[in-house]
Amino acid sequence: MDPEAAKTARESLELSFQMSNILDTGLDRHTLSVLIALCDLGLNPEALTVVVKNCAQKLSSSPPPTPASSS
Amino acid sequence: MEDDDQQKTLDLVKELVHRLLSHNPTAPNNAAQNPNPTDLNNSFRYAVRILSSKLTPSIAPDADAIAESIKRRLATQGKSSKALSFADLYNKFASKTGAGSINNKWAVLYLLKIVSEDRKVSQASQNSALLLPNLTLDDREIGGDSRNSRRGDKGWENGVLVVAKDPENLREIAFREFVDLIKEENEVSEEVLVRDVLYACQGIDGKYVKFDADLDGYVLPENFKVPRSTRTMVRKLCELGWLFRKVRGYITDSLDSFPTAEVGTVGQALCAALQDELSEYYKLLAVLETQAMNPIPLVSRSATSGNYLSLRRLSVWFVEPMVKMRLMAVLVDTCKVLKGGAMAGSIHLHAQHGDPLVHEFMKSLLRRVCSPLFEMVRRWVLEGELEDIFSEFFIVSETKAKESLWREGYRLHSMMLPSFISQPLAQRILRTGKSINFLRVCCDDRGWADAATEAAAAAGTSTRRGSLGYGETDALENLVAEAAKRIDKHLLDVMYSRYKFKEHCLAIKRYLLLGQGDFVQYLMDSIGEELSEPANTISSFKLAGFLESAIRSSNAQYDDRDILDRVRVNMMVQSTGDRGWDVFSLEYDASVPLNTVFTESVMAEYRRIFNFLWKLRRVEHALIGAWKTMKPNCITSNSFVKLQGAVKSQLLVTLRQCQVLWNEMNHFVTNLQYYIMFEVLEVSWSNFSDEMESAKDLDDLLAAHEKYLNSIVEKSLLGERSRPLYKSLFVLFDLILRYRGQVDRLYEGIYELQAR
Repeated sequence: MDPEAAKTARESLELSFQMSNILDTGLDRHTLSVLIALCDLGLNPEALTVVVKNCAQKLSSSPPPTPASSS
Repeated sequence: MEDDDQQKTLDLVKELVHRLLSHNPTAPNNAAQNPNPTDLNNSFRYAVRILSSKLTPSIAPDADAIAESIKRRLATQGKSSKALSFADLYNKFASKTGAGSINNKWAVLYLLKIVSEDRKVSQASQNSALLLPNLTLDDREIGGDSRNSRRGDKGWENGVLVVAKDPENLREIAFREFVDLIKEENEVSEEVLVRDVLYACQGIDGKYVKFDADLDGYVLPENFKVPRSTRTMVRKLCELGWLFRKVRGYITDSLDSFPTAEVGTVGQALCAALQDELSEYYKLLAVLETQAMNPIPLVSRSATSGNYLSLRRLSVWFVEPMVKMRLMAVLVDTCKVLKGGAMAGSIHLHAQHGDPLVHEFMKSLLRRVCSPLFEMVRRWVLEGELEDIFSEFFIVSETKAKESLWREGYRLHSMMLPSFISQPLAQRILRTGKSINFLRVCCDDRGWADAATEAAAAAGTSTRRGSLGYGETDALENLVAEAAKRIDKHLLDVMYSRYKFKEHCLAIKRYLLLGQGDFVQYLMDSIGEELSEPANTISSFKLAGFLESAIRSSNAQYDDRDILDRVRVNMMVQSTGDRGWDVFSLEYDASVPLNTVFTESVMAEYRRIFNFLWKLRRVEHALIGAWKTMKPNCITSNSFVKLQGAVKSQLLVTLRQCQVLWNEMNHFVTNLQYYIMFEVLEVSWSNFSDEMESAKDLDDLLAAHEKYLNSIVEKSLLGERSRPLYKSLFVLFDLILRYRGQVDRLYEGIYELQAR
């Protein structure tokens, strides 16, 4: 990617992150960038939100995993 | 390339799930935790399943609209500063285009929006576990199975929790049942219905609302389950669609059948005006459609922001268009069978309405519709041209000969007369155009064009097209009045000066009505013996010669040559046994344009009067002739000297009786003559002269002349009422003539006696 494009991308991500903060979505920069990439590829945003919700649910319902069990 | 993309997608999804599950800001320790691998796999599989199933979003990709709704939501939540900063950010975000920027900005925005809403909801519900669940009674969309069951799960969870502790369980259960019921009934969501209704109002069938030809309306078929209230509301709103269909159908029909001359220019103007109204209506519908697309949180569970445009809001918006569309449909119904001026008249009747909205609307329609009509009036009044291909005008022309152009060439067609043009005005319009045509055709006169331009200038309009409109009936009247005044004056001038109407009338009076006494005397003297012959032996040439000599020997020779030429001898239809006296008459030859006044029937009336007057004169002439022989002179008085006493006395008695009889007859005839000549003819003539002076147009003139003739006929005992009198008069005349014969013979005898 040429530097111009990289700059644009960075700025867009920054703006999106700020908007997401205002809206209090709880997404961090990295997650947001992945989501944006997926959206850009043409996936349905509604489906993505379902995935996000599902994972959030899983997180809130399941007990916090022990740090020991990692593979 | 596609595989590449797919692989990229899968990788990204995996990454996403990993991050989401490891990032848990609500955990007491904010460190990144390693997620459970089974959890990870499950989530990943679930994510893939979800992502590959639903491929199309339920809203339209409009980034601006989504940003608008986000701003609005922030503002309504009281976070206006946040709203402003969001707006700022969005502007910058949206302006980033080119390489490296995000293509589906709307997707990103939408994503953010929904995620934030969901977070709020889940936070709220986590905080209030014992409160009633946030029942979304508006949440009637077609939900995915997962969501439904999830909801049910959650609810039942709560219910199970509560049943042991809360006496409000009944209420919850009732709510639950209600929500389920509504879900059952509402197969079709409100937004979809709204969109369908908007389509129906443009005459297009929507997904659920279709036009039913049997019921003649837009209906929601029974197989879709919607609550009764919604169904009724949809039906009501679709009335607009039905009305629209009717109006549009009329327009297309008329435009199609225009070439076949069914519709005509006025109908076309109406269609154009209706089309303009419909385009206004389309504008309103377009605005409503954009509003309807204002985003709806389809995927969220919150009840806060419903669709902007609900059925109820739609019904409020449709109030005014409904009124207008109803008016147009009513108009269309009445005007389907009408044409031309009748159509304008019926629309005018509709415009007599108290409601100012209706009145204004109708007036604007009428202004367009009447412009072809007014144009036709203008042309007719200023140029005498009838351009009426579709026979919409209220003046029709019939091709007749030149003589009857005035009386029968044009007439009013009252069916096509619109109701805002009164009868007198219509008459005046007719007369003005007729005058122009008359001048052009019969009088070969070109001066009326100046009069027309003057009239137009005086009335403040121009002689070009399109200077009059409806609602300016005053202007029309003005124009017509000016034109009528000038053209009439011009016509009368032409009649009097060029064609010397007055002189001809006077001539008729002098010759046909025996006004010129010395001429009549000479004529009577010269053709007296001729006329006693049987009719078929008399040649009209000889009589014409006598006529000429009579004219020359009287004062009539000083008259205008043109007038004298027109006086002719006319031998009427003869039957056997007629004497010359019965068939002789004079006639006056009137040419165009004078024969508009002196038509065949008028001349026949004159002939009748002439006959009567001629008979009267003849009788008078006979009596005078008798006097010539009867007057006492030396011959008669000396004749009795030689006779015997008894014969003498008898003769004297007879003679005296003759004299007395003669006196009586003379008295009678003189008085009758005086009456006819002075009381009837002169008086009528002076009345007629006065009326001729004051006549303003040819119609007045014709009426005056009719009156003149009728009064003469009536007063000289030729009318219907005096028929018995007339018969006795003729008997008397016969007697007098016979008397003359007898007296002649008697005095012949006396002279013979004397001669011996």
